[in-house]
Amino acid sequence: MVKIFIDEKPLEVEEGITVFSAAEQAGIEIPHFCYHPAFAPEGTCRMCLIEIEGVPKLELACAEVVRDGMKVSTNNAKVVEARKGVLEFLLADHPMDCPICDQAGDCKLQDYYEQYGMLESQFSEVKEKRDKKRKIGQKLIHDQERCVLCRRCVRFTREVTKTQELGVFERGVHAEINILEDLPVDNKYSGNLAQICPVGAITDLDFRFQTRSWFLKSGDSICPLCSRGCSISVDSHRGFYRFKVPKRVYRIRSRRNDDVNGFWICDIGRYGYGYINENRLGQILSKNDRNEAINWEKALNMLSEKMKKVHPMDRTSGAVLIINPWLTNEELFLIKKFLIENQEFKNVYLIDIPDGEGDDFLITTERSPNKRGLQELGVKTKSLSSDKLPEKIKLVLAFSPPNIDAEGLASVKAVFDLAETKILFTSHENDLSNTADMVFPTAVIAEKEGSLINIDGVLQKFSPALEALGDSRPEWQILIELAKEIDTNYKYYNQFSSPEAILQEMRKEISDFGKKSD
Amino acid sequence: MEEKLLTNLFEIKDSFTIDVYLEHDGYKAVEKAFQEMNPESILAEVKNANLRGRGGAGFPAGVKWGFVPKDVDKPKYLCVNADEGEPGTIKDRYIMTHDPHLLLEGIIIASYCVGINTAYIYIRGEYENVALRLEKAIAEANAKGYLGKNILNSGFDCQIYVHRGAGAYICGEETALLESLEGKRGNPRLKPPFPALVGLFQSPTVINNIETLSNVPKIILNGADWFVQTGLPKDGGTRIFGISGMVQKPGIYEMPVGTSLKDIIFKVAGGMKDGKKLKAVIPGGMSAPILTADEVDITMDFDSLAEAKSMLGSAAIIVIDENTPILDVLKKITKFYSHESCGQCTPCRIGTNWINKTVQRIAEGQGKIEDIDNIIRLASNILGKTLCPMGDAAAMPILSIVNKFRQEIESYIGN
Repeated sequence: MVKIFIDEKPLEVEEGITVFSAAEQAGIEIPHFCYHPAFAPEGTCRMCLIEIEGVPKLELACAEVVRDGMKVSTNNAKVVEARKGVLEFLLADHPMDCPICDQAGDCKLQDYYEQYGMLESQFSEVKEKRDKKRKIGQKLIHDQERCVLCRRCVRFTREVTKTQELGVFERGVHAEINILEDLPVDNKYSGNLAQICPVGAITDLDFRFQTRSWFLKSGDSICPLCSRGCSISVDSHRGFYRFKVPKRVYRIRSRRNDDVNGFWICDIGRYGYGYINENRLGQILSKNDRNEAINWEKALNMLSEKMKKVHPMDRTSGAVLIINPWLTNEELFLIKKFLIENQEFKNVYLIDIPDGEGDDFLITTERSPNKRGLQELGVKTKSLSSDKLPEKIKLVLAFSPPNIDAEGLASVKAVFDLAETKILFTSHENDLSNTADMVFPTAVIAEKEGSLINIDGVLQKFSPALEALGDSRPEWQILIELAKEIDTNYKYYNQFSSPEAILQEMRKEISDFGKKSD
Repeated sequence: MEEKLLTNLFEIKDSFTIDVYLEHDGYKAVEKAFQEMNPESILAEVKNANLRGRGGAGFPAGVKWGFVPKDVDKPKYLCVNADEGEPGTIKDRYIMTHDPHLLLEGIIIASYCVGINTAYIYIRGEYENVALRLEKAIAEANAKGYLGKNILNSGFDCQIYVHRGAGAYICGEETALLESLEGKRGNPRLKPPFPALVGLFQSPTVINNIETLSNVPKIILNGADWFVQTGLPKDGGTRIFGISGMVQKPGIYEMPVGTSLKDIIFKVAGGMKDGKKLKAVIPGGMSAPILTADEVDITMDFDSLAEAKSMLGSAAIIVIDENTPILDVLKKITKFYSHESCGQCTPCRIGTNWINKTVQRIAEGQGKIEDIDNIIRLASNILGKTLCPMGDAAAMPILSIVNKFRQEIESYIGN
């Protein structure tokens, strides 16, 4: 540990870290463009200049390593003047097209201009004209007029994906980020480029001109599209009073998590959010009154009656439970305690989700978020596609995952065809919802609270990033209500006020749950 | 007045061949270094000679060599900076053309002193003939056993390679030179780490100028005391001054460090061309702050010029007469630095271009009086705030010209 002073504030910091990190730890923000914690300091934007007592020149916070007794000033007059100078240079050639720029509202150039200047432009020359919409990748547009040449994007393609599609071409004021002709950015992590761009130079075609960032509300969640479980931010629209917004979720961004995904997410996770918006089921459906809205209390009451009607003998042999690896640990635990142990469902099937192509970075071949949780809970399941079905089925409870494919649907349909009473829990409308006796709308991961265990055994908790759609509810809530309705050990289920409470109980009952790590 | 230390063979026929070189005590310093000296005593001799870098910055060569760690498991490299990009500077080309073996001998001794087996001469792309001559000289030295394995039975190996640049000014900056030599875009590196620890191919590296290394054999043969006596105690030896501009006899003249600038212009170079009056002098390559006619009574050494807020730099003297509009000088300077900025860091990339546009506009008769203060403000925002010294190299001459010749520049505005 070394002792340093930042803006006269004494600090004890780790040896070998930079002034930038030390300031960050002390809650002092130092403006920057080229610095990014994922990369070695570049030192080219010159925005993070600071003054060190006894050093004649201003130094870079991003590159300067702390020394014992160092006295740093991050905001004295000399430093502020220097930063204004850098900003003035950057803004001189900037197109000032914030009204049509996607980055507006999230832009460092805008933020620092407000913080350091609000100055009248002294620039009376002709601005450089550059290409404003060069397509550098399937989903990426580069605006060379907005670019501040921080080279974050270049370093990303060199150091992270190692695909090296981007480089700096030309020299001096003509220097520009570009691709080699006919060799666009083509990797599975390209969306990160738009996210790490500190200004609006790289924009994402998926988000371009869709909405303004200040209409969005950002919530933390975990990506469920493979078993890596990357940390993400889900940006959903706040909504307007007078007209309907076409989409709920507008974009997914990666969120730093050093234990799982670092700073990045793959394009599958970034662009695969359509399922949160599309084909969602927002109300309870019941075969008898398809067109009539039915409330949860009544529906759960009806369901419990249907379940109670099944003779205990039949439950063991003629009742089928279908679950899926999108369910959270808490939900799987409730299914185990309530449905498998208490209600004695012995025919438990798992909907198979086909593997996808994985890589040696983040993407796993397994394309569901919680197979590991299922294993650690010790829920024994049979395969819907390969194992035999009972001959006669009295009742089937099916939990369907959002990304169920045609084969999956067909395999559940085969069970439904044999069953007398068919109950479906699903977040999405699908072919099954027409054949089921009752359909309960469920929330997706982004709308849920709970925990998942990723492929490496890391247990990750998450909270809702946005409200559940319409009448939909998370499965854990439905299961608790149902358990209480059927009146099996009311007190036990009544103690579960939240998934957190369930998790605590799980850890009591299964001592090493979520602690196995490869 | 001239003191021909490095240029003594320049007028002899075929001075660039090893035979002529050997006739004039050639490679005697290498023999002395191997037979009578060891790396420690060579380093001490060069340190005592106060041989300061001839490329521009004037950093003592011996001290630079001393920064290289002794025991490392990586190879060490010597990079010889023959990029000679500073406008006005022509001295290194003359050395390489007329006395390439003097340079090679310096390289061998420096390499032996620091423990280097591989040296690269990074030569500017335009010097094609010079590069060919160097390659021929290296082949001659190899054939005679002054280069290669086990030189003169000393057990020491050394090989020299010539690498031609592609014509960027920035590649004369030592870390940009390393990048270029590694085959990358010639962008200066963020320091620290300094090249002495992490240089070429991530290995400890010494980077020296041609003229600096050419002094080394002379120091070894004649001793540090003699060298210091030739020049000044803190700044030993001679300098090869390259005089260009409006003088009677432009060219290169080797004179002791500390010679009077006035004498160089009016005596050695024959005075002003066509009897015109002296207006200003750029004393050390284009990036050196300008001196007015009243300021030329000064000695040419690093410390005196630093005191006068200019610099000796590469000792390239550009003489400007009364008939030359100072705006023309400024125009050339701003255009050059704007064109040659590597574009890596913000102040140099955008600042030099902005200033250049303003200066060109003034030259087109579209200037406004507030442009002058704006140029000063912009140049001050470049000065000391860039990643490499090239930002300062651009800002210093601009600031000095605008400040010292403000009235003249104002006269171009508004008529």
